[in-house]
Amino acid sequence: MELLTDQGLRLDGRRPNELRNIKCKMGVYNQADGSAYIEQGNTKVLATVYGPHQPRGQARNRIHHDEALVNCQYSQAVFSAGERKNRPRGDRKSQEISIHIRQALVAAIRTELYPRSQLDIFVEVLQADGGNFCACVNAATLALVDAGVGMREYAVACSASLANGEVPLVDISHLEEMTGGPNLTVASLPISGQVALMEMSQRFHSDHLPKVLERALEGCKDIHRILDDTVRKHVEETGRASGWGQVDRAGIVL
Amino acid sequence: MPTDNRRIQGPEVSTPYCLFRCSTENQGKIRSSSPDFPPVRKDGRALLEHRKIYVKTGVVSQAKGSAYIELNNTKVICSVFDPREIPNRVEYSQHGELYCVLKFAPFSCAMRRAHQQDSEEKELSLNLKRALEPAVCRHEFPNFQVDIYVLILESDGGTLAASITCAGLALADAHVPMYDLVTAASLGVVRGVLVKDPTEEEEKVCREELEGINQNHGLITVSLMGAHTQITQMWQTGSMTTTCVSESLTHLIQSCEEIYPIAQRCLVKSVVDTISKKKISEQ
Amino acid sequence: MAGVLLSEAEKTFILHGVQNDLRNDGRSKQDYRPIELEMDIVTHANGSARVRLANTDILVGVKTEIDVPKSDQPNQGKIEFFVDCSANATPEFEGKGGEDLATEISNFLRSSFASPLSFDLKTLCILKGVQCWILYVDILILECGGNLFDAVSLAVKAALHNTMVPNVETVAMDGGNVDLQLSGDPYDCWRLDITNIPCLVTLTKIGEHLIVDPTAEEEECSMASLVLAVTENGRINSICKTSVGSLHPQTLSDALKVGAEVGVGLNKALKEALAREEKRLQADKPERFGFLK
Repeated sequence: MELLTDQGLRLDGRRPNELRNIKCKMGVYNQADGSAYIEQGNTKVLATVYGPHQPRGQARNRIHHDEALVNCQYSQAVFSAGERKNRPRGDRKSQEISIHIRQALVAAIRTELYPRSQLDIFVEVLQADGGNFCACVNAATLALVDAGVGMREYAVACSASLANGEVPLVDISHLEEMTGGPNLTVASLPISGQVALMEMSQRFHSDHLPKVLERALEGCKDIHRILDDTVRKHVEETGRASGWGQVDRAGIVL
Repeated sequence: MPTDNRRIQGPEVSTPYCLFRCSTENQGKIRSSSPDFPPVRKDGRALLEHRKIYVKTGVVSQAKGSAYIELNNTKVICSVFDPREIPNRVEYSQHGELYCVLKFAPFSCAMRRAHQQDSEEKELSLNLKRALEPAVCRHEFPNFQVDIYVLILESDGGTLAASITCAGLALADAHVPMYDLVTAASLGVVRGVLVKDPTEEEEKVCREELEGINQNHGLITVSLMGAHTQITQMWQTGSMTTTCVSESLTHLIQSCEEIYPIAQRCLVKSVVDTISKKKISEQ
Repeated sequence: MAGVLLSEAEKTFILHGVQNDLRNDGRSKQDYRPIELEMDIVTHANGSARVRLANTDILVGVKTEIDVPKSDQPNQGKIEFFVDCSANATPEFEGKGGEDLATEISNFLRSSFASPLSFDLKTLCILKGVQCWILYVDILILECGGNLFDAVSLAVKAALHNTMVPNVETVAMDGGNVDLQLSGDPYDCWRLDITNIPCLVTLTKIGEHLIVDPTAEEEECSMASLVLAVTENGRINSICKTSVGSLHPQTLSDALKVGAEVGVGLNKALKEALAREEKRLQADKPERFGFLK
């Protein structure tokens, strides 16, 4: 199967630089300190944030005196993929993803603001269709914003691939992952242009790396715009009663 | 999966030979006896007759308290150990906890049981815990847990009920502070007929055999604190109307109350025995 | 259940409310909180449903697979329940923290489905002794706001209603192997019969009164609660006590009466809701809300 048709369209009809449809919502749950839900195409992820709070249980032995302890757990609903999974978490792959998500988020969170405390981030993949890690990072970022945790900027993740050995593709779906192109996943801080985490599987010539990376970072920037819009809208909605986001006649934000 | 070298590993999948042997014989037996199943029981008991009970405390010398119960072919042994601090717990707990483990011995049933606890055993353990919790003065040993191990030596119906009664006696024998003794009884319903203390074979019939739609069938186990008439656990499966459940409930409470003095006598006897032994040793 | 801290005064307030038949949220003793239901929201599952009962959020996915029947029940299919308490609900569920609760719920579901009158496993048999369908009912608890059992059972019943089992065109034994041909049309499916599947009703005893659909705060005030599995025609499929306290026989028989009555109502309401949802899904392009609502 070819990743790109002669007309330059991908398997699901997208153009090479086109993201999947992204829908997101903040504040899904009341009980958690922060929560968010994101749909990237058919990948659906729910993230919740608890904290910062006093370290609980076993974590008490790992308190940092100058920064917060960030605790991440990735789990995937057993019915989320085409084949039923045996258990939702605890296998090696989900543990690895948990660690990667933590790495990507710690780069953005201002952990030094919360010494001696713990921050719990739980992500749950409800439906998996490629780019689970990216969707998880994006959902967790929104949940952190919802929880009011101090952050340097958004942590945004996006994947990219290379078709026909020359055309870079952005935001890889499950079908494209399976068809077997290379897969470059980047978690970045798009405003300052920093890369928090980068991972690649399969191979391509190192000459192609800059343009594939460029495509992935571009994707991050696009996603950042969407997330930022959501946050602004959410804040405007929740804060309407207190008059946030209202503009007076002179055009000055009150 | 790490392999377990210490135990004999059977083949992963096996078919019990009984299935082949009984395929004609056994089915015929049930069918021929089915018209008269309710009135006549194989062991000659009346429908609402409980099996004879034998109980004894202090059977395991290593344990703080122990008890043994025998209902014909159902044999259960239980040991209770000294309270110890709840392991792997950081938060202080106001109430003490019961840690119940129920195991079928590998040779206890028609099919060989595995050494690891399976889901049925876990379910029974939880029911056992729920049945005992209300009777124990848990505020007397905060942040401690009492370990209760129940081993079913032979299973022939009414295992949960026997385990609860046995564990209640073992707790009393271990001098764990309790409000009351717990006794339990089981009852089966088949085609709308109530059968007290069913055996394994009768339990199977109660679970499966149906004649037409909307027939009552199922199993109920109830545990009771006799002196306070408080039901500590009730566990029912099958399908029955509310009137049928209420009717069964009255019968079950009656059975529990019948078992209560037997358990009491057993405890009194163990106290008398200890005192007389002490006197002899003093002399 | 999860991290609810109540002072004695708050508990007394709730207790007095129940005595006067006016609970904190304005309900009377036998009222449910509003329930939202949505079917068919996980595309990778054969059937799915999401139930939101005030703050309790349950997502159920049903997957069908082909398996070998048990040797002692060669003409029956299989059904398996798996409950996953997501750490999203409370940090206490992280890792293996929610396992005890999960086994309790799945065990109770299994025993309430055990009667052949409520769910006939024979319909899941494909070829006697050789092949059958296995239904994996996977329950995901996303938020706990009290009354988990009831919400889970509603979601399970809805998901089973929504489940499409593919039709088998031909089955033949070819030597030792089974030759199985599934229908090529993905819409050529049959539905499960859910008429007699029970709904669970939790009755919680606060003071001297029994209430249905307790909130997390009310659960904290109670020492004893009883779960009943009630079918559409008021039959009881399973009973279990789920908390540490004990009950007087009189309370128990009261609970039976109330529970059966409430259960019949709940089944009826669910049936209507399922019909409405079905109609909505059959529309030209049904809107999928999922968690975006």
